[in-house]
Amino acid sequence: MKEAPTRRALVVGLGNPDRGDDGVGRLVMEKLAGLLPADVPIVQIAGNILDLLTEWVGFDAVICVDAAAPLTTPGRIHRFDLAISELPRNATITSSHAVSLTDAIELSRVLHLAPRDIIVFAIEGASFTGATMAPEVAAAAVEVVGRVAAEVTKLQHISDKLAADKRDEAANSFAS
Amino acid sequence: MATRTIRVGYLARVEGEGALDLHISDGRLARAELRIFEPPRLFEALLRGRSYIETPDIIARICGICPIAYQMSAVHAIENAFGVTVGGQLRALRRLIYCGEWIESHALHVVMLHAPDFLGYPDAIAMARDYGDAVRSALALKKTGNELLRLLGGREIHPVNVRPGGFYRVPERSEFRPITEQLMDARDRAIDLVRWVATFPFPDFERDYEFIALRHADEYPFNEGRIVSNRDLDIDIADYDSEFEERHVAHSTALHSLLKRRGAYLVGPLARYALNFDRLPAAIQALAAEVGLADGCQNPFRSIVVRALEIVFACEEALRLIGMYERPEEASVQIEPRAAVGFGCTEAPRGICWHRYEFEADGTIRTARIVPPTSQNQLSIEADLIAVAAPLVSEPDDVIRGRCEQSIRNYDPCISCSTHFLKLSVRRT
Repeated sequence: MKEAPTRRALVVGLGNPDRGDDGVGRLVMEKLAGLLPADVPIVQIAGNILDLLTEWVGFDAVICVDAAAPLTTPGRIHRFDLAISELPRNATITSSHAVSLTDAIELSRVLHLAPRDIIVFAIEGASFTGATMAPEVAAAAVEVVGRVAAEVTKLQHISDKLAADKRDEAANSFAS
Repeated sequence: MATRTIRVGYLARVEGEGALDLHISDGRLARAELRIFEPPRLFEALLRGRSYIETPDIIARICGICPIAYQMSAVHAIENAFGVTVGGQLRALRRLIYCGEWIESHALHVVMLHAPDFLGYPDAIAMARDYGDAVRSALALKKTGNELLRLLGGREIHPVNVRPGGFYRVPERSEFRPITEQLMDARDRAIDLVRWVATFPFPDFERDYEFIALRHADEYPFNEGRIVSNRDLDIDIADYDSEFEERHVAHSTALHSLLKRRGAYLVGPLARYALNFDRLPAAIQALAAEVGLADGCQNPFRSIVVRALEIVFACEEALRLIGMYERPEEASVQIEPRAAVGFGCTEAPRGICWHRYEFEADGTIRTARIVPPTSQNQLSIEADLIAVAAPLVSEPDDVIRGRCEQSIRNYDPCISCSTHFLKLSVRRT
């Protein structure tokens, strides 16, 4: 029998569906409906990214899905485990809002409001105007749905000690 | 001839894209130009040919921070044109949704954007390491304002529930229960915020402004009133063009507004407060006296305290309106379009937002004019910059730059709204 989850997880889709490929976060959330355990809320944030700081209070793990500015290939998926690596500071995650996801996470950590584990899936977009999404970005959304679902299972069942060990291991590897 | 140029190429912690050029010639400050280079938005043109009924939803897109201001000015103009008056609980709900916008907009600006200037931090994240409680409080205030917008507007950004004549849906009284507790907590946080920002070190600086704001017979103004000043102005909103004009200037994509007879004027919290102090509840007047503002305020740097006072007011007013709320039977009043011209003017967080629409007989917009608060404040901002920077010309560029950016943020400029706005450069010759 599978053990009951020990950690609270939240899934967040960021982006504005009226801005082309910026809507990919929302698309992933729509496709996740019904696929996640009932105790894992799905939140969509289209505008006020500062809302993240209050939305994720009390959660142990959060998975965010957002669009990224084009670097090489539209639809390319980047996964950031913030226990191991930081989000790039400049020009990667595209936010049309006053506060970037990177800044929101940093502010949240300073205020001790951030969950212990934060995973960010960033999907490179092609165009951020109009309501149409590039086919390769929409296709990437399908793949990210599966990866988010798997990530939720892993994050819910990993023990806090294991999560902490993982972070220490990462920190030591950086130190060495 | 000694030339010195100080340039802020891109102004941070303001809404939208703008810059500042300071020209210093032979040790004297010659000129300050607030350059607004955000592309024109062309809303007035794209509204032509659209129905009056679409207007609140189109016009909300002008701003993600103050969409209610645009929606409210528009619906009042529409109703003015078609001879409709919205009263009772529908009118009260309009004041209530405006309270939400003032709370979220002012909280963001006071703590996250402006407070770091006074305390010597580059941004709110750095400030949060030492003033975590203040930042957490700002987030709670902003959330409360957003909740109010969501409850009445359907969503907090670009709300969708406002329509000419009222709303598409009005809430049940029971729906206000959770927000009531939040508002009581927000009011206490806002009072603490007033006391905190009042302790900031303020530059010793005052100017003799002409303040312009709405004034209502018995309310601190949101949606209605006459346009008045601390000089001799007292006009109906329909007579705006008789006293004000808009001019194109080469260095800004935002039109400059000025008083035909006297030039620069100031709109926003300082003006509202100066002209409507007697309309504030006694408890807020007492709080103002406690922080030394009972005799008015001509120091633009202390606008941060006035904004915090207005958050307290908005929380109090919201609680008062909710306490008196009875759900109206109809969510809106009937509107019959006609060929007419209508005017609307309401108090956006940054000051008066004036609209004029000319309609065809079927309610289609023939022409639209929108005068946002930031475009009205540009001349005053430039005059402030000259006065603030002039005594500092012998200081290093970064000192001048810092004080000028702080001066601009006194106005909480919404550049996106005004474009038809920041980077700083100083030219010394």
